[in-house]
Amino acid sequence: MEKVKCECGHVNPYGTYLCESCGKPLIEEDDSLVNMRYEGVARRSQTYKKTIVDKIWNFFSSVKVGIWIIVILLLASALGTIFPQEMYIPPGENPTIFYEQEYGTLGKLYYQLGFHNLYSSWWYMLLIAALGVSLVICSLDRVVPLHRALKTQRVTRHTKFLEKQRFFATSEEAIENAEEVMQKAEKALREKKYKIYNENGNLLAEKGRFSRWGPYVNHIGIIIFLIGAMLRFFPEMYIDEYIWVRDGQETVIKGTDGEYFLRNDQFIIELYDEEDERFREALERTGSPVVQTYQTSATLLRRVDNGAVGLGTELEEVKQHDIRVNDPLTFDGFSLYQVDYKLNELSEFTFTLEAVQDEVEEDLSEIEFTVNLYEPEMVYEFDNGFRIEIMQYFPNYRMNDGVPETINRIPDNPRIIFEVFTPEMDPETDTGEISLIGVQVNEPLNEQINGENQYRIRMIGVDMNNVTALTVRRDRTLPILAVGGAIFMIGLIQGSYWYHRRLWIQNRNGVLWVAGHANKNWHGLEKDFDYVASKSQIPVPVDQLDKDMSDETESRND
Amino acid sequence: MKRNRLIIRSMILLVMVAAIGYTFYNHFSEERGIVDRDDEAPNFILEDINGNQIELEQLRGQGVYLNFWQTYCVWCREKMQYLRDHYEEYKEKGVEIVAVNVDEGRGSVERHQERFNINYGLYLDRGSLVTNAYGVTSLPTVFLIDENGVVIEKQVGGKTENQVLASLDKLVPSQ
Repeated sequence: MEKVKCECGHVNPYGTYLCESCGKPLIEEDDSLVNMRYEGVARRSQTYKKTIVDKIWNFFSSVKVGIWIIVILLLASALGTIFPQEMYIPPGENPTIFYEQEYGTLGKLYYQLGFHNLYSSWWYMLLIAALGVSLVICSLDRVVPLHRALKTQRVTRHTKFLEKQRFFATSEEAIENAEEVMQKAEKALREKKYKIYNENGNLLAEKGRFSRWGPYVNHIGIIIFLIGAMLRFFPEMYIDEYIWVRDGQETVIKGTDGEYFLRNDQFIIELYDEEDERFREALERTGSPVVQTYQTSATLLRRVDNGAVGLGTELEEVKQHDIRVNDPLTFDGFSLYQVDYKLNELSEFTFTLEAVQDEVEEDLSEIEFTVNLYEPEMVYEFDNGFRIEIMQYFPNYRMNDGVPETINRIPDNPRIIFEVFTPEMDPETDTGEISLIGVQVNEPLNEQINGENQYRIRMIGVDMNNVTALTVRRDRTLPILAVGGAIFMIGLIQGSYWYHRRLWIQNRNGVLWVAGHANKNWHGLEKDFDYVASKSQIPVPVDQLDKDMSDETESRND
Repeated sequence: MKRNRLIIRSMILLVMVAAIGYTFYNHFSEERGIVDRDDEAPNFILEDINGNQIELEQLRGQGVYLNFWQTYCVWCREKMQYLRDHYEEYKEKGVEIVAVNVDEGRGSVERHQERFNINYGLYLDRGSLVTNAYGVTSLPTVFLIDENGVVIEKQVGGKTENQVLASLDKLVPSQ
């Protein structure tokens, strides 16, 4: 690539719009005004296309590519909301068939393309990664040349550069007291807190250059934010789990490698009082009871390491806390938040035995037994010689191809198969009366003489338990995200609330050339020019963009 | 100048690709469990349904087929029947089968043993202490532990009879 030598003697890299030194336009464009973007420097990416590294670099350096990545990300994120994400489909549903069943072919496609788990799908992650790469390369490719150009800018600029600024004026002919005017102008500019650079009687006044770095500071913030988001894929940095704990029971806290346990000492729930005048109206509107507080009184336990786990493992109490919404139990970087609950889970059934026909001579009144649905005793023996055995227990019963089984060990739909032995029977050899019992179910299973059992097990009591649901959180990425966000905001403010203004006043043999440039808020620059003119009689620049526009309207009227 | 630029660009790209690559690798590769290949198997003490205690350390010198299961896990059931059919044969060769039930009542396990005529020890892990210490999250999960107490393989999911036999063969002590 050839370098371009300007008439001022400066050698510019290929692709330079305005000479880095004197500002003379090197690439003539039809526009009457020069393009001041990035000070007219050559963006590096546009110049070299040689090795594969350069090609990759150039691809990501393009702002167009960056915008397309953002557009695709937005589209993908929008499409991901059409059907529910995997974590929001009804629990227990199999996603491989759920989407097709529920939403047809579109649903199947949705699932196959990974939209059901959008944020962890490989292509979405790749897009985010590409956005990060694009941000880094785009910023680097622009901030480095821009910084150099602003740092090394010369005070004396080429007349073409001045002429083609949006704000430009000249005194046309030499004025007598040019130097005096310049001095007055300089004083006025100093009052306005401009930084003044002098060279051969020419003047450059500059203010607010640091606002040019705003977008790059902003990008650094985004990159730090993205790094924080990336770290969430590492369990050391981020854990988000879910545990259910029954009243009075303890369970391991997921994510702690089996080290910590939580005991639910008591779960309580308070509903808003429907009788209370203050709430009545609002409650009638919602139509269902509204929770006022729900709270888990919990004890944190830690496994004592004594060589072997299992029998004899001790759990020592670490601390107690009442977990409420937004008042988590915290330990060792983890937080346990109250998120859900389940009331009235079955925990115990109490049964009695009675005769179907009233002609048995045994006294059955003393037979009463309780079956713990988490840990049932399998044999119940009574003083009068009766013996009842549990043949099978299904905590969550279902029929699967004609075979009874349990879905899991949660007693949501418990069924028990009992065998009743009378005192005359030998449990080892005889077969007792068998019946299947559950909630509102009581079926004899073996054929008796009359087609009916002689005895009937009747449920006389039910005990229930409450279960609390907590999320286990560990998020060490929060400080990183906060720092990224803060830097993002600083960059945004820096670039939004300040702006970069420059005024050139040149004395060319008594003729004054005045030009100005601002990266935004041209009105402010105009006011500064008016102020300087009021103090020093410099020619007041006109906005050449306005002039062009009025020219156009005039010619259109012709 | 140009060479410097190429080096700088390559380095920046390399750092970014490495960071992204590592994230992808970490996210999409199968996670290493708490206890996995080449780890020493954590010692545990459990009781079977008949009240017999077992301590893993006492089984040094034998290969241990440590199987975590539940009664309503269909894949576990099949595997446990293959194990039943070959238990005696491999016991003579120095392989012990330890089937740890995950947090179910004694009664359910007893019935399971009767129903499937299981001839090896069914150990109860009420409270899931051992299960959690081994980082078991789905069933069945099997740890093959050699005669020195080192895990040589972790297996998750259902297996055919031949696969189970191949695993048992790996556990036969070498001498």
